[in-house]
Amino acid sequence: MSYSGFAVFFAMISALWWIPGMAVAQDFVAPSHPVTVRPAPTGPTPRTADGHPDLTGIWNGMGGNLMGVSNQLHNQGIAVESNTSTHDIHSGAKIEAWPATNRKPHNIVDDGHAATLLHRVGSNLPVYKPEYWEKVNELDLNSNQDDPSNNCVPFGVPRVGIPTYIAQLPTHVIFIYAGFGGGYRMIPIDGRKHTPLDDLDPTYDGEGIGHWEGDSLVVDTWGFIGDTWFDQLEDGGGGYFHTENMHVIERFHRDGNTLTWTATVEDPDVLLEPWTTTPRVETLNPDPKAVLPETLPCSERAFSHAVSKERH
Amino acid sequence: MKMTSAVGWVMTLVVLLGLPAGSCSQTERTTGSGDVAKTLKAAADALGMARWSGLGGGELPEIDVVNRVDFRATGSTYGSDEEPALTTEYHCALSYNPPAMRVEMTRTVGTVSQHTIQTVRENYAWNESELGGGLEPGRGTATPDMAALKQRLLQLWILPYGVVKASSAAGDKTKVSKENGNTVISFPLTGELSGITVRATLDDKNLIAKVETQADNRSLSRMDLETQYSNYADLGEAPTEVLFPAHIVQKQGGHKVMDIQVKSVDISPYLVFPVPPNVRKEALRQSAVNK
Repeated sequence: MSYSGFAVFFAMISALWWIPGMAVAQDFVAPSHPVTVRPAPTGPTPRTADGHPDLTGIWNGMGGNLMGVSNQLHNQGIAVESNTSTHDIHSGAKIEAWPATNRKPHNIVDDGHAATLLHRVGSNLPVYKPEYWEKVNELDLNSNQDDPSNNCVPFGVPRVGIPTYIAQLPTHVIFIYAGFGGGYRMIPIDGRKHTPLDDLDPTYDGEGIGHWEGDSLVVDTWGFIGDTWFDQLEDGGGGYFHTENMHVIERFHRDGNTLTWTATVEDPDVLLEPWTTTPRVETLNPDPKAVLPETLPCSERAFSHAVSKERH
Repeated sequence: MKMTSAVGWVMTLVVLLGLPAGSCSQTERTTGSGDVAKTLKAAADALGMARWSGLGGGELPEIDVVNRVDFRATGSTYGSDEEPALTTEYHCALSYNPPAMRVEMTRTVGTVSQHTIQTVRENYAWNESELGGGLEPGRGTATPDMAALKQRLLQLWILPYGVVKASSAAGDKTKVSKENGNTVISFPLTGELSGITVRATLDDKNLIAKVETQADNRSLSRMDLETQYSNYADLGEAPTEVLFPAHIVQKQGGHKVMDIQVKSVDISPYLVFPVPPNVRKEALRQSAVNK
């Protein structure tokens, strides 16, 4: 019987014995749910006829819902192994943690502040040239107004993250990003070369060209519009601006039912060195009947009147 | 009457009167490991460091959310007793992961001003001629200053957040005692700061009010500091409920060296501390020489 099963059982017995059920429930210590641990792969890695790993599927199995919400902390570089064990994925440094029992209840405002802080604990930051440090900080602090996604600008690559759905064809892979800020990408893997940058009209997602390096699909993308941010912060912020000279190299690696994604960002105009995201891991949705949710229409967030710098 | 008998009589009286032993003397009483954990959690709670949110369905533990801090202050710094106080603009950017700190000060006396940027990261210490000096060709210089390494790292770990983190990391070596009614946390520092003991006194709200450091080795007596923190508040432009002391006074060997009023604090902003190539090179050279 699971812990939650025990709780229900005792609550029922308590009610039958005229003991207030809540009194029993209060003594019951619910186990923490270590949802941010990198999942161990299970099952074989399927392959296509040409021998490459088959990436086809809906990749949102780690999420509590189709948006992968409960995976957010891991995506921000924080691994929670247990009630008292947490570490920074990038540096390996321990982060102090305290069991989720007996904590102070809080309201939605407290929750928002905590979430903003939790998203910023990770140590894996892109290193901008010193002349841009203050600009990044200002953009982050004023992200309510300045975050392009608040004004319905698409996330763009690589902020859009790991695709929710991948369809792998012999000559192309199709990425679908369901949910807010998403869209789709059609990536050729037929051996073609990039269009010369000068001949490209810049776009939010750029021109992505794929190829295989061993069992990893590598998608090389350039030709970007310069008005997106490349950060991964789910709740906005970060301020990680870039120029039209940004070059992104994404790596997709399937192992059993897991897909690991990283993106390396090069932008020598503003970055001191290339920056690689903390690896994101998603699991295959095991439900054979799973379908993607409808992408919600974007509505601009009117933060211009906000008097507080509180980030949303 | 023998001494042991006298102690026995006092103890008997204490028991009969129902008084706690600690209340009949001002002597230190060390508490157990459970009390240490509770005390450190209380200190973390008071500062707003231990936080949770609905992320992960609200089932995740509370996590220390303070990693990077940027604060600005004004006040005075002092040289020797004979020298006048220097009006000081103080800007400190710091990080605990990785351990790093950049202190930018403009000190003025009369019409003369001195601007310095002193930086430390892990095992590297250097001075920047301008922000980020030495990282790009044509943008200022970075001058290695390895001799200042310990002093700068110490400043990082004696800030209130540093005390909570370092005392938690010290594990069983951290002790909690009651002294004159105040809770005191004592622990040894490690790594480059081995041999230095920290004593942090909490106020009645579990906020860190005073931090004293003492080096075992008297040749490091310049590391003997006393820092007082008061007037805690959420000083962020964006509210976070993470508290920071608005008033910091530091003494070295009993002599006041800094008295500043903190004006603004930003918790977990964008802060990076890349080590300039020439600083790495010099640190390697010095390391080879020392071997």
